[in-house]
Amino acid sequence: MNKLDVDALFNVLGGEIDQACIRQDSIQNEVVIEIPAEKLPEVSSILLDQFDLYHLSTITAEERTGDPDYLEVQYNFWKGSGLTLLIRLEKDSPVLRSLTGMIPGADFYEREVAEMFGVRFTHRAETPPLLLPDDWDGDPPMLQKEETK
Amino acid sequence: MDKMNIPIGPQHPLLKEPLRLNIEISGERVLGGILRLGYVHRGIEKLAQTRNYNQNVSLTERVCGICSHVHTTTFCRAVEALLGLELPERVHYIRALMCEMERIHSHLLWLGILAKHIGLEMVFMHTWHDRESILDVMEEMSGGRVAHAVNQIGGVRFDLDEDHGPMVDSTVKKLKVDYEELLDVIEHDTTLKARTQGVAPLSTDDMKRYCVVGPVARASGVDVDMRRDDPMPPYDKLDFQVITHPDGDAWSRTYVRLQEIRQSLHLCKQIIDDIPEGPISVRAPRKVPAGEVVMRSEAPRGELFYYLRSDGSDYPARLKIRTPTLPALGILPEQLSEIHIADIPVVLAGIDLCIACADR
Amino acid sequence: MAESLFYLLIFPGITFQLVCGWFFEWFDRKLQARFQRRVGPRWFQPLADLLKLFSKEDLLPSGANEFAAAALPLISLGAVLTAGVYVPIAGFSPASFEGDLIVIIFLLSVPTLAYYLAGIISAGIYSVLGGGRSLLQFFSYEVPLLIALSGPAVMAGTWSIREISSIQAEMGPFVLFQPIGFILAVVGLIGKLKRSPLDIPKAKSEVVAGSLTEFGGVKLAIWNTVMNIQAVVGIFLLVNLYSSWSGIVAPVLAVPVFFLESVLMIFVLSAASAVFARLRIDQLAGLGWKVLVPLALLQLLVVILMGV
Repeated sequence: MNKLDVDALFNVLGGEIDQACIRQDSIQNEVVIEIPAEKLPEVSSILLDQFDLYHLSTITAEERTGDPDYLEVQYNFWKGSGLTLLIRLEKDSPVLRSLTGMIPGADFYEREVAEMFGVRFTHRAETPPLLLPDDWDGDPPMLQKEETK
Repeated sequence: MDKMNIPIGPQHPLLKEPLRLNIEISGERVLGGILRLGYVHRGIEKLAQTRNYNQNVSLTERVCGICSHVHTTTFCRAVEALLGLELPERVHYIRALMCEMERIHSHLLWLGILAKHIGLEMVFMHTWHDRESILDVMEEMSGGRVAHAVNQIGGVRFDLDEDHGPMVDSTVKKLKVDYEELLDVIEHDTTLKARTQGVAPLSTDDMKRYCVVGPVARASGVDVDMRRDDPMPPYDKLDFQVITHPDGDAWSRTYVRLQEIRQSLHLCKQIIDDIPEGPISVRAPRKVPAGEVVMRSEAPRGELFYYLRSDGSDYPARLKIRTPTLPALGILPEQLSEIHIADIPVVLAGIDLCIACADR
Repeated sequence: MAESLFYLLIFPGITFQLVCGWFFEWFDRKLQARFQRRVGPRWFQPLADLLKLFSKEDLLPSGANEFAAAALPLISLGAVLTAGVYVPIAGFSPASFEGDLIVIIFLLSVPTLAYYLAGIISAGIYSVLGGGRSLLQFFSYEVPLLIALSGPAVMAGTWSIREISSIQAEMGPFVLFQPIGFILAVVGLIGKLKRSPLDIPKAKSEVVAGSLTEFGGVKLAIWNTVMNIQAVVGIFLLVNLYSSWSGIVAPVLAVPVFFLESVLMIFVLSAASAVFARLRIDQLAGLGWKVLVPLALLQLLVVILMGV
């Protein structure tokens, strides 16, 4: 099991993204790279093709408070140690490009994020409900409701 | 022949937990299947945000009915990482002992279900009989057969007394004998091999593309085991092998799991022999500082992923659980095409579904 | 007249067949349980199950043919009970005639065909699947079974079961001369009774309960009785054809020996279902036509050559 060569990865990614977006300490046990949403396909294909970082553990979304509130979507990869791609999305109309073309295993993770947080994924088939009932017509349930804020 | 749709589930003799598979068939051939989850979705991730950390230990125990201990272990390790706690060695050993016993009983349970699905009721009953002896030990140690409530934040809730060591020892010895019998059946029974060998094999590449983890992936030659590659203590000090098999069919999954039982028995023996003396818990501060942590463990079905974020309040701000069954379900559509109807149980059983895990 | 009624209703007719069916079912279940390290049911459990089914509501899905659903189990019951009257019990056979072996084989096929029809008319997906499978299975086991059963008839030179049975007093039990034929007949019987490992038409994990998925209540009770009596007749038939000791041992021992052999047969069937995994339907068809049929023909050839 070859561990991920983090320094080499940073060198390659240096051309693509801002060095300042690489954070080593914000999540324990993980190397975190913050990328803009539109860079996700490029960065993922670099990870996949050049570093054999095929294993996507999961996609974690969460609502973060700030000014204004935003959605944070993490792509938690693993190869000997964790690597997280972190994307900030607007809360109002979050859109991401799907990774299912590259990583078919991302299908269920994307569907879960889509139904629980209302993120829309492009470049893939529709995201039918995975866990929620077919006739669910409420808001995405993992988002905080206005009154409970 | 006409195409037909047969529904499997939400309730079906094949399924121990509810899920729905709409399978399209033509005669005895399966053309494809559509999967639907969510029948046991309990909203645990959302619920966790309204419970404090100690309550969440009990909550995560109830994610799964089979691998309950590894869930609390992973959760407690995540919280302890946020707290920056250094745990006594003995705690790690007790947790690992329970993990390994859980793996043995989970694999035995699975083997029984596979045998039942292909009509080998006798193997089913015998493996579940063997499994009882492991459950007895776990009950004797923790007081619970399924929900063991071993962990608390900062340690474990019970200590091993002088009877437990010999009890584990004798059970391991007994199970090693039963294990040889089972291996004999798996390796030599013609009808069992006829039903499981060559059924919907998946390659290493398929497994990697679908991000599958655990014994299912290892049976296709993916050499990954969190206990070795991203170890929690004390696995870095213990000696065990990661079992892989190149074929990727239902039989190799059986073989891998059976060999893993042997490795786990070996680990139990080591843990009992090596366990250091010492306290079994440290005092954990009530306030969990703000921070984020990712924890991965090797559950019986593969890599278990926990993400925990604390904002400094009494409740976790976000708890994400990704159970190993979820990615394994992704390969189902790939496997459920161009097989016989009679192979559906073998394919489903081969994955070792834990729907309660996948739904959360 | 009174004698005929006694034969029909008491012995070897309905009552005797029913009691034997219950006993065989209980013994089989007990054996299975012991193989699996379970305790198993008490002796009256089959009867209790039957009574419970009689008290249950009888439902059919809309779209099912109600008349056929009621008629098919009754026709099957009639067929197997009739077959039961013609099988000699320890040499006692009030209704024997030349050619009754062929009649019995024919009558024993009636439940299988009825089972197939029951699947088609009961308007359920699993039923249709199970019905189709039962027909496929029928074609796989019936031919080797027929060829195997004709072995004793050819050897004895008669198609009367009583004659075949009694001629073994002079020639010795046929199982000694036709071991392959006997094994094939047992395999065929397992297929006919849809017992594990050939329970393909009603494999629980694949097609729920096959043809009988939509049946319940009295109809299911009758179906279960049909299966039980089919087992009784099949076992008695094999004992008569292959291992009849009634003319060899002392007359006092004839009846105990006959029943002991029947019980041994159940033991064989139980053990077979305990140690073998269920085959796939294509595997069974391959086994039937590529292995069982050639073996059966070989056995028949040997028998004919022995006669010459």
